[in-house]
Amino acid sequence: MFKATSAFIFTVLFFYVSSVWGSCVIDDREREVCSNAPVTRIAALSPGATELAFAAGAGSKVVTVVSFSDYPPAAQEIESVGSPSRLDLERLLALKPDLILAWGTGNPSEQISTLLRLGMRVFYVEPHSFSSIAQDIRDIAQLAGTEASGDVAASAFLKGISDLKTQYSQKPKIRTFYQVWDEPLMTMNGQHYINQVVELCGGINVFSKSPRLIPRLNKEAVLIENPEVIVAGGMGERNAHWLEGWRAFPELMATKQDNLFFVPPSLLQRPTPRLLEGAKILCEKLDLARSRRG
Amino acid sequence: MNIKLSHNSILLLMLLLAIVVVVFSLSQGSVALTVSEVALALQSEGTYLAQTLIWELRVPRVMAAFATGALLSLAGALMQILLRNPLADPYVLGISGGASVMVLGAILLGLSGVLLSGAAFIGAVISTLLVFGLSQRTGQTTPIRLLLTGVVIAAGWGACITLMLAVAPPQKIPGMLFWLMGDLSYAHTPWLAWVTLLAAMGVIMPFAKSLNVLSRGPLQAAALGVNVTLVERLVFVLASLMTAVAVTTAGSVGFVGLVVPHMMRLILGNDQRVILPAAALAGGCLVTFADTIARTVIAPEQLPVGVMTALLGVPTFLFLLRKGRM
Repeated sequence: MFKATSAFIFTVLFFYVSSVWGSCVIDDREREVCSNAPVTRIAALSPGATELAFAAGAGSKVVTVVSFSDYPPAAQEIESVGSPSRLDLERLLALKPDLILAWGTGNPSEQISTLLRLGMRVFYVEPHSFSSIAQDIRDIAQLAGTEASGDVAASAFLKGISDLKTQYSQKPKIRTFYQVWDEPLMTMNGQHYINQVVELCGGINVFSKSPRLIPRLNKEAVLIENPEVIVAGGMGERNAHWLEGWRAFPELMATKQDNLFFVPPSLLQRPTPRLLEGAKILCEKLDLARSRRG
Repeated sequence: MNIKLSHNSILLLMLLLAIVVVVFSLSQGSVALTVSEVALALQSEGTYLAQTLIWELRVPRVMAAFATGALLSLAGALMQILLRNPLADPYVLGISGGASVMVLGAILLGLSGVLLSGAAFIGAVISTLLVFGLSQRTGQTTPIRLLLTGVVIAAGWGACITLMLAVAPPQKIPGMLFWLMGDLSYAHTPWLAWVTLLAAMGVIMPFAKSLNVLSRGPLQAAALGVNVTLVERLVFVLASLMTAVAVTTAGSVGFVGLVVPHMMRLILGNDQRVILPAAALAGGCLVTFADTIARTVIAPEQLPVGVMTALLGVPTFLFLLRKGRM
């Protein structure tokens, strides 16, 4: 009798405590990340993670970022722990973060495993689709106790994407080449999320069947595919000369119809809510290209 | 007697220098700790943060840096005697190339942590066996044959590395490049390096006199009763093993193995009994000091240690060369 009573009390106590606060989320590497109180000091170890944390309404809790974390502007004021590929672990530990947003393919795995060994709470941020971007925002918000703002941001993002889908994805298909880099010439295959943006806008990525995620090409491969649109990304915000290069091939369909477009890479090449903005621009460009069909 | 005494005092001085460098390195970092805070943390007292910084980050890194420098420098000194060529360094026989190819392969397969170190070690051993096996003809190995075989195999590894970098997925390239550059921010297990260093010193020091004779030429050495084949094989195996362990610990840190032994010869003359331990101490000091600068000079940005070893070592070496007797 006594046993049953104490078990009952324990159960009630447990549910009471866990209902006060306590939550677990699953990160992008299928790991469970738990916290029994809202986190207050976030270390965002990639520019994209910084954007997601701000989108989740946890921007004021971000205590450190890495180089190139330029958005939102407030992120530029936050202390940096150096390049994402070579972290200043001392500075990071001294800032006593209680949540680390790690970038699995960008941060050195040895440094992340040191942080794990020291008992740090690590959440891997590597979204590969529209839905995982939204899910990451919700998860970070849940850990930071800012669920309301996270939910608003995630829903707005998904709504924007689904609106674009309704508006553009059924339009006549248009064969598109997205140029990730100039020398060497690079694009992405069908596994990449930028491919999803191209398809969202009713485009067809001419290299979607390529076996490698980021194929390296020569110009001949592009000439053979003869895309109707060429879109350039790149590192800086202006890479007009990348597109000028294609004017040397007047027989190329994209050149003939003047469908050489530039989309700011920071809007497309970072899997963050700003991808919506980049997707809008890309969809408009592809639509412009459709209007130029004879 | 007189010479021996001065040798001992030189080595004692260098040991003191090494201790100063290590203490300096432990006290430096992007978080400022005073020497007394460092001392407290070393006794597992003081704040939790200071203890974590010292025990989890600085001590393993400084230990790894010192051992890597000492191993490379000692291996370089031995290679220069073995090949009777002042341009020889620990990497000249393709050991770092073999290690790098295996590590890059492991990175491409998605392995990490201890498996990478294991791959590096296996690669270094394969390369060593390959060079040694191919350079033998009728049981004889001449230094020039060994050198040429090593250089060609190194070139072969170099081509494999370029190929792997060309076909690697872009997100894996930063990790691969850091490995090739040599970087102590990945080092976390200095024990293997220390055990190897101490064992190698213990094995080679009794042969220091024979090495003195050997560096004048194998015929003279043989005439003076040195078992040339035995000593050469021993030197080859030890130098390869030390290089393999150094590369496993910190990647391909360049320059140390070539220049530090020459520096010591310019200052101390060419007696292996003092050159070998002196080179080990000086190599350890150089890499430890260079790594301290590399992780603090433009913090929070961290530099690869190889950049700093060369930037510190090149002017020092040129200065000694102009003043010296070579």
